[in-house]
Amino acid sequence: MNDSTTPSNRNMTGPRHWRSLEHKADSPEFRAFVEKEFPSGVDLIDDPVSRRNFMKIMSASFALAGLGVSGCRRPEHKILPFSKMPENYVHGTPQFFATAMPTRGTAVPLVVKSYDGRPIKVEGNAEHPDSNGGTDQCAQASVLSLYDPDRGLNFKRAEYSVRGNVEVTEFTEDGKKTLKVEPKSGVLKLLDGLANGKTHVLMEQSSSPSRARLVDGLKANGVNFYEYEPVDFSVHAEAAGIAFGPGIEPYYKLDEAKAILSLDCDFLGTEESAFQHIRGFAEGRRVKDDTKENPADLMNRLYSVEGLLTLTGTNADHRLRIPTGSVIRVAALALAEALDRIGLDGAEDGIRQLKAFAGDLSKDFSNSHATEGQAKANTSKWVRQCVADLVRFAKRGDKTLVMAGYRQPKEVHLAAMAMNALLGNVGSTLLLRSAKPSGNGSIADLIDQFKDGDNLVVLGGDPAYNAPADLDWAKLVDRAGKVIRHGYYIDQTAQGADAYIPAAHYLESWGDARTSDGTLVPVQPLIAPLFGGMTELEVLARLGGTESDPYKIVRKTFEGIAGEGDTQWEKFLHDGFLANSASGVESREYDWDAAQAAWLDGAEPVKPPGKGDYEVTFYRDHSMDDGRWCNNGWLLETPNPVTRITWDNVLLVSLKTAIEQLGQAEAKRLLDFEKVDGSDYDKKLGGLPGRFGFHSESGRFFQKKYKLTIGDKSVEGAIWLLPGMADNTVGVALGYGRGVGRVGGAAGFDAYQARTTGTQHVATGAKLKATGETYEIACTQEQGIMDGRPVVRECNADDYAGHEDFVKHFDLDSVHHTTHLVKGDDRGYPWEKDIQDEMPASPYMRKGDDKGSFGVDTMSGPKLMDVQLQQWGMVIDLTTCVGCNACVVACQSENNIPIVGKHQVAIGREMSWINIHRYFSGDEHNPQVTYQGVACQHCEDAPCESVCPVNATVHDEEGLNLMAYNRCVGTRYCSNNCPYKVRRFNYYDYNRRPMGVEDGERAPGRFFNDDNDLNNSPLHPGNKSSNGEWELIRWYKDPSRGSVPGLDDGKKDGGEFDPEWDLIKLSKNPDVSVRMRGVMEKCTYCVQRIQRAKIEQKAKVRDTVEALDNPDDKIAALDVPDGTIIPACQQACPADGVSFGDVSDPNSEVYWLKRQNRNYSVLGYLDTRPRTTFLAKLRNPNAAMPDHFDIPNTVTEYNEKNHADVFGTKEAKADGKEAKQ
Amino acid sequence: MSDVFPRWTNRLPGQIIFGILLIGGAVTAGLTYYFTPKYTRVGYQPTQPVPFSHSIHVNQLGMDCRYCHDGVEESWYSNVPAAETCMNCHSAVRASDPRLEPVRASYKDENKPVEWVQIHKLPDYAFFNHSVHVNRGVSCVECHGRVDQMDEVRHEKHFSMTFCLDCHRDPEKRLRPLDKITDLAYDRSLDPENKDRNFVKEWHIKTSENCSACHR
Repeated sequence: MNDSTTPSNRNMTGPRHWRSLEHKADSPEFRAFVEKEFPSGVDLIDDPVSRRNFMKIMSASFALAGLGVSGCRRPEHKILPFSKMPENYVHGTPQFFATAMPTRGTAVPLVVKSYDGRPIKVEGNAEHPDSNGGTDQCAQASVLSLYDPDRGLNFKRAEYSVRGNVEVTEFTEDGKKTLKVEPKSGVLKLLDGLANGKTHVLMEQSSSPSRARLVDGLKANGVNFYEYEPVDFSVHAEAAGIAFGPGIEPYYKLDEAKAILSLDCDFLGTEESAFQHIRGFAEGRRVKDDTKENPADLMNRLYSVEGLLTLTGTNADHRLRIPTGSVIRVAALALAEALDRIGLDGAEDGIRQLKAFAGDLSKDFSNSHATEGQAKANTSKWVRQCVADLVRFAKRGDKTLVMAGYRQPKEVHLAAMAMNALLGNVGSTLLLRSAKPSGNGSIADLIDQFKDGDNLVVLGGDPAYNAPADLDWAKLVDRAGKVIRHGYYIDQTAQGADAYIPAAHYLESWGDARTSDGTLVPVQPLIAPLFGGMTELEVLARLGGTESDPYKIVRKTFEGIAGEGDTQWEKFLHDGFLANSASGVESREYDWDAAQAAWLDGAEPVKPPGKGDYEVTFYRDHSMDDGRWCNNGWLLETPNPVTRITWDNVLLVSLKTAIEQLGQAEAKRLLDFEKVDGSDYDKKLGGLPGRFGFHSESGRFFQKKYKLTIGDKSVEGAIWLLPGMADNTVGVALGYGRGVGRVGGAAGFDAYQARTTGTQHVATGAKLKATGETYEIACTQEQGIMDGRPVVRECNADDYAGHEDFVKHFDLDSVHHTTHLVKGDDRGYPWEKDIQDEMPASPYMRKGDDKGSFGVDTMSGPKLMDVQLQQWGMVIDLTTCVGCNACVVACQSENNIPIVGKHQVAIGREMSWINIHRYFSGDEHNPQVTYQGVACQHCEDAPCESVCPVNATVHDEEGLNLMAYNRCVGTRYCSNNCPYKVRRFNYYDYNRRPMGVEDGERAPGRFFNDDNDLNNSPLHPGNKSSNGEWELIRWYKDPSRGSVPGLDDGKKDGGEFDPEWDLIKLSKNPDVSVRMRGVMEKCTYCVQRIQRAKIEQKAKVRDTVEALDNPDDKIAALDVPDGTIIPACQQACPADGVSFGDVSDPNSEVYWLKRQNRNYSVLGYLDTRPRTTFLAKLRNPNAAMPDHFDIPNTVTEYNEKNHADVFGTKEAKADGKEAKQ
Repeated sequence: MSDVFPRWTNRLPGQIIFGILLIGGAVTAGLTYYFTPKYTRVGYQPTQPVPFSHSIHVNQLGMDCRYCHDGVEESWYSNVPAAETCMNCHSAVRASDPRLEPVRASYKDENKPVEWVQIHKLPDYAFFNHSVHVNRGVSCVECHGRVDQMDEVRHEKHFSMTFCLDCHRDPEKRLRPLDKITDLAYDRSLDPENKDRNFVKEWHIKTSENCSACHR
C-alpha cells in the first residue's frame, strides 16, 4: 500500500507543502521552533507576583478565609419571580425569534436564541428560501456588539449656555464642541423644524422598504438625501443597468455553474452576501457519494484572476495573479476570446479593439501563474484556455458564470456580463432581478449641494473616519449649521456634532430589509434598547414629525406590501420572511451597443506597476468590514483566513516585490535575514533563507514598519509578505484604526487616510519607505503545526477514477484507523471487504454485535462504549470548506470562549477551539492553498486522557472526550500529549479582564496590547481595576456582588456610568460554564446541545416507551433522531461542510459519510481513532491550462518527502518508457 | 553527643509523629464534619418574605406541586410562581391578609418582585435538569424531602456529588410511577401493584455516571 520508509529531510525536490516561508525554507531556527511543540513564550510566567510575595499574600488569604468561614456567612441569593408570567414563557428554556441582520444592500436572515430575555446566539434561518441556515462570521459576532460597553450609552448634546431665550453652543479654547449627556427630549428637540430643503441627510445604504418610504415622505418636504458606503458594491447593479437596461440588479446562482471565472471577485469572502455564494459554490462542488459518482463529472471548476490573495483565489482550481488595476486587460482578452470562439456577427472590430486593449499579457505578467520548475508563465494562454473551457461547457449545454468584483470598474463588469450573455448564462446562473434604485445622491453630491449654514444629519456610518480623504469632511462640518449625529459609537463623526443620538442595535428595535433575492424579512427586536437608543427609522420619522414608533412604521410598510391583517403579519414574524416576495426575474437581452459605448468611453489603458511605482489595492477586511465591527473582540481575534493575522492590518506584498523591487539590501532588512547568501539553505528558493521577521526563539513576529505614500497622502504600517500576491502591488485592509472603543480602538492603522475619491479601490504610483521602526504582529500562522505529515489529503478530480482508495496510501494508515465502530456487512471500505476478519479489534464494543472478537470481554483496551447509547462523531468535508471562519466565531459565541488579546495571541495563547489551518504548497510565488478546520478530534483512544493526573478529562460511553473544568488543576499534561494541539489553556482569568486598563489607568484601545491587568486575581493587590482591594475582601464585604473587579466604582472617565461587567455577563451562554484561570478547555462537540436534545427526547417519549415490548425498540425510541443535534459549527457553516451525528446508526448522515472512500483520520497511524474524520479535498483542474499539475502539490511534497507514490505516477511513467522502447 | 541531646530527646521523634497524627486526625475529622454539605447545607431554613406554608396548600387544599412550579416538566429550572399565580386565589381568599402584602405589591407593580430567599442551590458548574428527572420517574421528594409537611421550607438533603451519584448508580429504588411523582407521601414498597415492577427495564433508564451528565 505504502512504500514509504521513515520520513526524511533529504533529497527534497519539487514543490512542497508549507505553511509559511520559514516552513518552506526549513531553516534550522524553524526546525527548532517546530520541535519545541509550543512557542516558548506560551508557558512563560509573566505574573509580577513573585514567589515570596505569593506566600505573603497567601498567608493573609488563609487568615481571611478562616474568618469568612468561621463566620458561617452564607451568601444569600434571592429568587425574584415575575409579577405576571409572560405568555408561553417557561423559565430556563431558550426562545427563538426570527429576525435579520441588515447589511448594505441586503440582509442575513437569522433565528436568534434568547435566554431569559437576552439574545445570546445568532443562527441562520434555514427556512428562508435563499438560505440553508448558514451565516457569515460577522452575523455570528454581531451579538457581542449588542453588549459592547463602549457603544453610545447616552443621548448627548454639545455643551451650550442659554443667553436670553437662545441656546448658544460653547466651544472649547481650540474651537471644538464637547458632548455632554442630555435627556432624550432635549436632544430630539434639535430635530424640530428640520424637515425642509436646508437639511441634508447622509445615510448608509439599506434595503429597508420602510426607510425608503420615510425617505420618500421627507423628500416631498425638500429634505436632501445622500448615501455613502466606503465599500460600495453598487457597481454590480450599475453595470447591469448599462448592459441590460435600468431597474435591475444581478443575482448570482452559483450552484448551477459548472465553471466559474472570477475577475477579481472575492465572492467567497468579501463580496456582498458571500455566505450565500459559499452555499451555492459548495453545492456545485460537493461530491455527494464518491463510492458511486465520479467527481470529474460533478464538480464545478473555479478560475480566479486577482491581485490580492483572497479567499476565492485560495479556493480556485486555477489562479492568475494580476495586479488589481490590470484585471481589466484580462477581462478584455477573455471577452475577445469568447466573442471569437462563440462568434457574434459584426464583432470583428470589437475583438480587434479588445485584443489591442489587452496588449501582451504574457510579457507584462511573466510570473502570473504557477508552473512546473522554472518554466515561464504564459498568461495569454491561461486566459485563452480558460475561456475555451467555459465555451466547451456552454456548447455542451452546461451553465457557467463570469463574475467581476466590486473593486473593478464597470467596464470589467460589462465584459463579464457580455461573456455571460455569450455563454448563455443570463437567466440561469446570472439572474436579473428587478430593483428600484434609491435615487439618493452620493457623498460628492452632498459636498456640492451643501450651502453654508445648512443642517447636516448623519445616520450611521462614520464619514469623518472613512470619507475619501480629498473631500475634507471637517470643512463640511464647519460650514454646517446644526450637525445631528446618529451612530452606534461616539466616533470621529460624533466628535464634531451638535447632538448625538445613540443608535439601537438591530436586535433591539424594529426594522425590515430585503435579502439579496429580494425577499422581505423582518428585523425583529429580542430585547428593548439597552440604553434607549433609536433606529434610523425612528430618527427619520421624528425628523418628519410622523409616527415614530418603529413597530408601527414597519407594520405599516408591511401592510402596504402584503396587505392588512394580523395573520399575515404574525406569520411574517414567525417565519422570518414573507413567502414569495422575492424580486421578479426579468428576461432581457444584452445591449451590445450601449455596453460597447460605455466601454469605449470608460476603459482606460493601464500600465502594469513596477519597481518603486507600486499599485495599492484597498480591500474590505474580512473581520472589520469597513470599520463597522471595529470594537468587536471576537472578530478582531479571529485570524484573517488567508494571512492568519489577528488584531491588525498590514501592508501585504508578494515575495518577489519584497526581494527584487525593494532591492537586495532593503529586502535583507525587510526579511530580517541573518545569512543572506544562504549557503546553508535550499538554493531553489532563490537564496531566500526564509527568515521573514520570524523570531523562532519566541515564535513572534516583529515586522518592519513602512510608510506607504500615495500622492500626497501616506499611512504607516507593518509590512507582511504574503505569497501569491501580485507583484508590485500592496494590499491594504480598510476598517482598522478607527480609534473607537477600548477593545479595538488601537488595532491596526487607518488606511482611509490615503484613500481618495479617485482611488477608492486601486491607487497607482505608490512608494514604500522604511520608517526604521518595528511593530509586533500577532499571527497564528506558525502555531499548532503538524509538520511533515499528510494532514491534508488531496486528489485531482480526473485522477479519482482508478484511485478511489488514495487516502489510504498516505502515512502508515491501515483499515481500522478510520473504520472502527462499523458493523454489519458494509464494514470497512468496499475494496477491503474480503479482509475484514483481519481488522484489529476496536477498543469499543459495537452495538448489537456479538460475533468474533468484537465486544468480547477478554479483549484488551478500554471498554467504555455503551452499545445501547448513541455514538457521536463528526465528518468535515475539505472539498466544500472554503475557510470562511463562520464556524470559528459561532463556536466562540456558543461556548463562552474568551478573547485573550493581541499580546496573548502573539505568544501562542489564543483560545479559539476551532483552528482553521491554512497550508501553502508548491510555487512560492503562486502557491496552492488548502484549508482544514481542526478542533478536538474526540479520539477514542485519547492520549490526553491517559496523562491527566486528576481524571479531569475522561471519556464517556457515547464517545465524547469530556473536560470537567471543575476538576482540572491545570497541569497541562493533556495539552502536551495531544497530537493535534487542540487544547486551550486559560493562562489568565480572561473572562474577568477589565477593559482598557493599563497600569491601572483607563486607556482606550490599549487594552489588548497590555498584559498587566491580566493578573487580576485574588492574589494581586493594588490593582486599580479592582479598586486596590483583594477579591476576598470585596467578597467578604458583600458576597452577593461576587468578586467582580471594578464593579465598585462603575465609573468611566468623566463620571459616566460604565456597565462593563454587567454587559459582558449578559453575552454568555448559560448552558456552558465560564472557565476560570488555570483550566484547560477544548471542543466538546457542543455537549450542552447533545444533553438538551437527549433530555427533550426522553421527555417526549415518557409515556410511550413503557408500552414497547422489545428492549431494542425502547432503545430506538430514546435515541435522538439524526439531524436533531446540530453543533454550533455545523449550524453556522454556509457550505454544509460539517456533519454531526450517531456514527453507529446506519441511517445517519455521518455513518454514511464515514463510509465514503475519501474519509480519513488525521494522524491515524497513531491509533488515536478520532471520532472527527475528514473527507479528502478534491481539486478540479483543467489539464489544458498552463498551470495544471498532475497531482496536487501537497501530494507531490508528501511523495518526495516520504518516498511514496500515492497515485502511482512513477509507475505510470516507467510503463510509458517501456512502451516506447 | 549526649551533652547536646539529653536522653528525653530520644522519645521526641515518636512524640512528634504521634502529635502530627493527632492534630492531622483532628483537622481531618473537623473538616469532614464541619465543611461538608451535610453540615453546611442541611437544615438551612431562612425566613421568607411571605410565610407561605407548603403544608397547608398541599395537605389541606390538596394542591399539586405543578400548580405553582409549572415549568418543572419542561425546563431544567423549577420556577417559583409569579405573583399572578398566587393572586389567582388570593384575590378572593385572604385578600387583605397583611402577610400577603409583598405578593399584592408585586402583582400591582412589576418592579417590586417578591424577594424569596433561595434555599436549594447547586454550584454554577453543575447543570441539574428538573425535567428529565420528573419525566422519568424521580419524585420531588427524593431531593427536596417532605416539603408537603413543611411550614417553612428547609434544606433537607445535602446535595453533594455523592448524593447525586448514589442514585445514578442505583436508580431503581428511587423510581416510581409517573402519576405519583408529586405524591410526596407515596411509598412504593406499600403499593402492591408497583412494588415489584422494574422501571429501569420498562422505561429503559440509563443513568449517566459521566462528567458530561452534569458538567459542561
